[in-house]
Amino acid sequence: MVMFATILIMSLLAVAVCAAAFAAATRDEASRQPQPERRLAVAPPRFFADPAARPAGGSLVPVEVLLSQIERHVRLEQAAAEDYLDVPTPDALHSRTTSPFLN
Amino acid sequence: MTSAQPDLVKGLSAEETTRFMALGVSTGLASGQTLFRLGTEADKAYLVVRGRIALTLPIQIRGAEEEVLVEEKVPGETVGWSGLVPPHRFTLNATAAITSELLAFSRAVVLDHFAAHPGVGHAVTRNLAAVIGHRLQVFQTMWLREMQRAVDHRYA
Repeated sequence: MVMFATILIMSLLAVAVCAAAFAAATRDEASRQPQPERRLAVAPPRFFADPAARPAGGSLVPVEVLLSQIERHVRLEQAAAEDYLDVPTPDALHSRTTSPFLN
Repeated sequence: MTSAQPDLVKGLSAEETTRFMALGVSTGLASGQTLFRLGTEADKAYLVVRGRIALTLPIQIRGAEEEVLVEEKVPGETVGWSGLVPPHRFTLNATAAITSELLAFSRAVVLDHFAAHPGVGHAVTRNLAAVIGHRLQVFQTMWLREMQRAVDHRYA
């Protein structure tokens, strides 16, 4: 009888220890997982520009350099548009640009 | 001007071209001088004879307004067709990129000439439509390319 009681108490103790260990392990895993819903709610809707994609040193570019890059970009885009209008194909419409403004 | 026929008078006979060109008043611009400003009333269209005219639009950069080049017009090309097309308001800024010479065509004078010579009016109006249509197609294409980049950037 004493032996039976000892085995029963030891078994209950082992089950309790295992349950505590499992609960601790699953709680750590849950706290490490990202919470996408919260991030989506924080990000404001934007169309043309994603602030996260801005170059870190963007604000350091002098205005004159930026204007020069925009001017070159416009010229390249007009040339690409003229090429497309000469021979209109989907490939010509979406041809890659070498514009430093975008690369 | 180049040896090619100016875009506004394509299809006209030599005599018709001479008569039409005689309507224009020669106008000189120093480098950097303004031809017209965005939003102002347009009562003349211009033909570039010599030099280069820069068409620009304002853009905000770090809180300051800067002019960005949209298009350049060279000898033989028409500038300021808003002078002939309602609602007669310029939608761009035009300045001389270098010392330039233009022929200024007053709307009233041109319309009187069209009334007296309907064949010339028809041909010049068709040429003007081609100039405007080309601008539309170029900018439509540029806009679609930018849209594609926005889609690639945002949703790829």
